[in-house]
Amino acid sequence: MYLGGRGLNSYRLFKMVKPGIDPLSPENVLCLANGALAGTALSMTSRTEISSLSPLSGILGDGSAGGEFSAILKHAGYDQIVITGRASKPKYIWIEDDTVEIRDASDLWGLKVSEMVDTLRDIHGDDIAVAGIGPAGEHLVRFATTMIDKYHSGARGTGAVWGSKNLKAIAVRGTKGVEIADPETFFKLAKEDEEWFKKNEFVKKIYSVIGTHYGLLAWYPGWKYFEKYLGPEELPEGIRPVDLAKYEVGRTQCFSCPVSCKDVYKLPRWNEYGVSSEYESIYALGANNAITDTEAILKMEQMADEYGMDVITLGDTLAMAKFLYEKGIITDTDTGGIPLKWGDAETQIKLIEMIAYREGFGNKLAEGYRNFAKIIGPEALKYSYDVKGLSRGWYHVDFLNGIFTLAHATSTRGADHLRGRSWAYWENDRNMDPELPLKLLEGGLPDYRKDPVGALIVSERACTLADSIGRCKGSINSWPQAVPLVWKYPLFKGLAKLLTAATGYEFTEEKLVEIADRIYLIEMAFNVKQGIKKKHYAVPFPPEIINTPKVQAEIKRHWEMVDEYLKRRGCDVETAVPKRETLRNLGIEWVADEIENKEFPEWDGPPLWPLDKYPRGR
Amino acid sequence: MAHRYILAVDYEKCTGCHLCELACSIKHYGVVNPYLSRITIITKPEIQASTPVFCLQCNDALCARACPANAIYFDEKAGAWLIDYNKCIGCRECVYACPFGAISLTVKAEPIKCDLCGGDPECVKVCPHGAIFYGPEYEVVRKLKKGKSVGIVYEVLEKGVEVPAGNRVKEAEEAVKTLYRIWEERKKLNI
Repeated sequence: MYLGGRGLNSYRLFKMVKPGIDPLSPENVLCLANGALAGTALSMTSRTEISSLSPLSGILGDGSAGGEFSAILKHAGYDQIVITGRASKPKYIWIEDDTVEIRDASDLWGLKVSEMVDTLRDIHGDDIAVAGIGPAGEHLVRFATTMIDKYHSGARGTGAVWGSKNLKAIAVRGTKGVEIADPETFFKLAKEDEEWFKKNEFVKKIYSVIGTHYGLLAWYPGWKYFEKYLGPEELPEGIRPVDLAKYEVGRTQCFSCPVSCKDVYKLPRWNEYGVSSEYESIYALGANNAITDTEAILKMEQMADEYGMDVITLGDTLAMAKFLYEKGIITDTDTGGIPLKWGDAETQIKLIEMIAYREGFGNKLAEGYRNFAKIIGPEALKYSYDVKGLSRGWYHVDFLNGIFTLAHATSTRGADHLRGRSWAYWENDRNMDPELPLKLLEGGLPDYRKDPVGALIVSERACTLADSIGRCKGSINSWPQAVPLVWKYPLFKGLAKLLTAATGYEFTEEKLVEIADRIYLIEMAFNVKQGIKKKHYAVPFPPEIINTPKVQAEIKRHWEMVDEYLKRRGCDVETAVPKRETLRNLGIEWVADEIENKEFPEWDGPPLWPLDKYPRGR
Repeated sequence: MAHRYILAVDYEKCTGCHLCELACSIKHYGVVNPYLSRITIITKPEIQASTPVFCLQCNDALCARACPANAIYFDEKAGAWLIDYNKCIGCRECVYACPFGAISLTVKAEPIKCDLCGGDPECVKVCPHGAIFYGPEYEVVRKLKKGKSVGIVYEVLEKGVEVPAGNRVKEAEEAVKTLYRIWEERKKLNI
């Protein structure tokens, strides 16, 4: 029905989370799931999906994290862990195959992520995997992440949910492995899939060498709070791939991945190591804050991992604060006398620490992006470039035929780049293999230049399936990575073959499309219960230009696209609620009983606590 | 003199992805389970150390010497020390005896070790970085020499340098050049 991973989590959350609850209360539910093909010999099936009602956005919040946890959890015999309620004292969970224990974590509480993982490895051995939180999660920072095996993070604020449940970590050892229904066929297909990556020039010479730093040249990082987006020739010294390579000492990857997209770097100034300085951290913490001190940006990325915070929300919130300070909307009175200047790396490092422990001005920033703007006031909120509480900057609707704006509007976890956006216009695929786009179009992906809405829906299916089988969608987002064997059996026929061989159940492309739509619609229904209305599909623009005829025309076009999208998804075009008929066709009519003709209070972000009620300080 | 075929690893190339373990277990048992693999990866990504541990097929094998049941024998055809499970009494002496920890125990306390897949090792084929190789002794040793000497040169050069840069920057420069070349090529294709 839901495959596993994200699909299984979203189903569980729809069943278990009541509308209108506080995400940081014991009523919230935290799900970790590894996906249908996790831990198998199909490479790159290393993702753990962590889902909850998000304390950052107040709607569905899920994050996909790499590492080894997913595979080892599967090898211990589990598909999903569901956490409910709240412990009276700090606890951690120890799983060894069939044995599950809830243990005292008072010695772990307060530890940074790498200290926590090392301590647990000392106790249980070095062949375990660990998921858990750092100080930011303990202090209920609303964009705290679930951290896996030290360096891999799942965002949308699930770290704070662990903190609110007094749960520090889950450690697991799995010795049972995975049984495959038809190992011969499965292994043959898996090897074929891996061969593509081993032979591809782009993968070997760029992806495996500079990883997502490639994006600095190809993905137009935002500069100075999205004042502009930098082209490859505009990149300042300090944040070019060659500058970052100066600090690199090696490369690493998640379980069963042939790519090694992650860099291991050394910080001579601090005499410390860090892992995986991805594109997002360089753009959000660096470029968007006009910081070009390479080593300082890497240090901030490493701090975000150690405290357990999402680099994108962290960087964008800091950039917004600097922007509002420059405008005079926040002053020294708000910041406690700390001046907020573009390019000031030293202060930013201090602020990141203050956020993790909710100290001083950090307490406000820790509310995260839109919530931060909300407590500053309506003037600030105008500059919150978010959809449903999450930010990916603002874009013109005519950019890439409306794909960006529509993708941000329709993502079921708020504005996002990993719900379908890159796949709809084969962002990186054409660089990987010039023939790929043609194969995709022939395989049934609508051409975004003619049918952007159709292209996005098919791409959202691809991402939903990748998240539900536990496959990496690619740190350089691409079809062959998200959808195994897409280059040979487009679009989902190769995946159907793999799933059939792995499980022994008959899968077809049609069946997979149905599963993907079932998952997506149940996620939309979950958000309806949290008060999402049609108007929340609006996309942001800077207030200075929003009333210009050009932008007004763009907004009109955007709504036309949203209407078309809702129609094709089988939702009511006026209310954006999934129709009973659609849900019936997907075999989940019971979902309609919970949302049809019911009034849910309109969404306005998560309920925020008075600032002095949060755990603060060290 | 005919040279033996041996399995060897270039530690600098291994990134610790575990794909060899998965391939090994599926080849021998048809299941995916690193604990049933005859090659084990010990990793510590933060210092970029990952070490595949596997049987080196010693000339004078301590495991065979230690075995009280004479269950470990050298198979000329495979070029490997194999375990005769009809004789094995499950005492684990071989596990203790191996200086490299190359013999693993399954959950049923059955010792398992590399059998070189009868001369066509699966781990070599699956390794994405070409870190594991298999071939005639002299050729493999030659390759290892080259790898080692490069390693030593780096170590000498790095003394007194805080960041082991140089080679990484050059590789990154090459990657950027390749990207611009790919962009040029794609422009012509009009997609």
